[in-house]
Amino acid sequence: MRLLIRGTQTKVTKVVAKMAGCSWFLVLGSVFLCNLFKTLLPSIFSFLSKVLQKDAEHERHMRAEIQEMKKEHNSVSMMDEFARYARLERKINKMTDKLKTHVKSRTAQQAKMKWVVNIIFYILQAALMISLIWKYYADPVTVIPNKWISPLEWLVAFPSGVAGGVGITCWLVVCNKVVSIGLYSIS
Amino acid sequence: MESPDDTTQKTSEEKSGLSSAQRRAEIRRRKLLMNSEDRMKRIVGFTKSESENNGASSRVTEPRFHLDLDRIEPWSASSPRLSPFLPEAVGSSHPHSSVPERTGSPLGDCSKVLGGGVVEDVTPGVRQRPRGEAQLAAEDPSHSASPRGGLQKYLSRFDDAMKLRGQLANEKQAQDAASSDTEELDSFRLFRLVGSVLLAIFVRVFVCKYLSIFAPFLTLELAYMGLYKYFPKVEKKTHTTVLTAALLLSGIPAEVINRSMDTYRKMGDVFADLCVYFFTFILSHEVLLLVGSEETESL
Repeated sequence: MRLLIRGTQTKVTKVVAKMAGCSWFLVLGSVFLCNLFKTLLPSIFSFLSKVLQKDAEHERHMRAEIQEMKKEHNSVSMMDEFARYARLERKINKMTDKLKTHVKSRTAQQAKMKWVVNIIFYILQAALMISLIWKYYADPVTVIPNKWISPLEWLVAFPSGVAGGVGITCWLVVCNKVVSIGLYSIS
Repeated sequence: MESPDDTTQKTSEEKSGLSSAQRRAEIRRRKLLMNSEDRMKRIVGFTKSESENNGASSRVTEPRFHLDLDRIEPWSASSPRLSPFLPEAVGSSHPHSSVPERTGSPLGDCSKVLGGGVVEDVTPGVRQRPRGEAQLAAEDPSHSASPRGGLQKYLSRFDDAMKLRGQLANEKQAQDAASSDTEELDSFRLFRLVGSVLLAIFVRVFVCKYLSIFAPFLTLELAYMGLYKYFPKVEKKTHTTVLTAALLLSGIPAEVINRSMDTYRKMGDVFADLCVYFFTFILSHEVLLLVGSEETESL
């Protein structure tokens, strides 16, 4: 039993050590997810607007009604049935005004929603990036021999200051660029 | 204050036997026509029929741009629109003056104009502009003194900027049409990226023990610069940004902007190559470490 517990403990410590060694992968994954989410943001927004705004049906109904009334209006002779003609015209005008107001308010609401979604996304992205930078401020995401990156080692290691280390900022920039190129080529 | 047009109108009306009330109404109508919005519409080339003008002028009560409201004679008669995009305005302008109209390229008669009247328009600390305003100054030096002159200058400058942008876009389109298509550029870019990836792997496996990883990358970039001429030259479409428009409006020649944009794009390409190279290098390094550690574990 004791042997079994010791075996599992050693396995767990190995996995943790491996996970700690894979911080470069964690940063890469986060950047990839952020970029992917950013690419999918318009479709997410359209889905959200479809789910949250249920007035579209009412608007369609109003449009159909206006079309019907217009058809009727065209069929009525102004000379023979002026009263009916005028009544219909007033009705059409009223309905059109109502529809206009409705569409305007819906558009405003949509713009607001889009703004809110964008803001939420950028806040989350910023929070994620800040937390990553905070976590790996002193530790490099990976370490390579100092000689390999010799003239620019201080720039690559920033802000960790470890000789030969790859700092979080450098790695974030590199990952962001590579992921954006990859997503662009795919899309 | 009445213009000669009004006086002639008046005499003709007297001759035709109109009453004074009708005359006053006619003058009032003409004054209403001269409101600023109407003038601005004329300036920007928004032409309307006479009847529409009457309706619009009665509608507009507050002028947005105060432009010499005492003026009675029609705007188009004395201050012509210099836009090359408004043939009706240019064509109808200057029935009385002998100043030549601007036609063709803005650079065409630049030297002539510069020799003419631009000298008195130059103020210390202000950048001398050879094109639109120079011509404007040559046409009417009094324009530069009044606020309307400033507006005219601005509009002329705006026209120049728009025309240059149009020329730039036309050039680009012609180049795009001449060369095969944008896929060629993509192929070069792909070639660059693939080259960077392969070099990174090669460097990680063979070179990095002896040399800094940036030395082979610099060599690769030099090779790309040499190879660039062997690839079909396809210019990228110009992205007309706010920055480009602002630079054009501030008088920087389109050629300079184009060149600096090209340089900027090349720098961006080199940066992208570097990122891909470094990323692949680190990735292959980590993979090699992982494989090596697993091999040692299994042994």
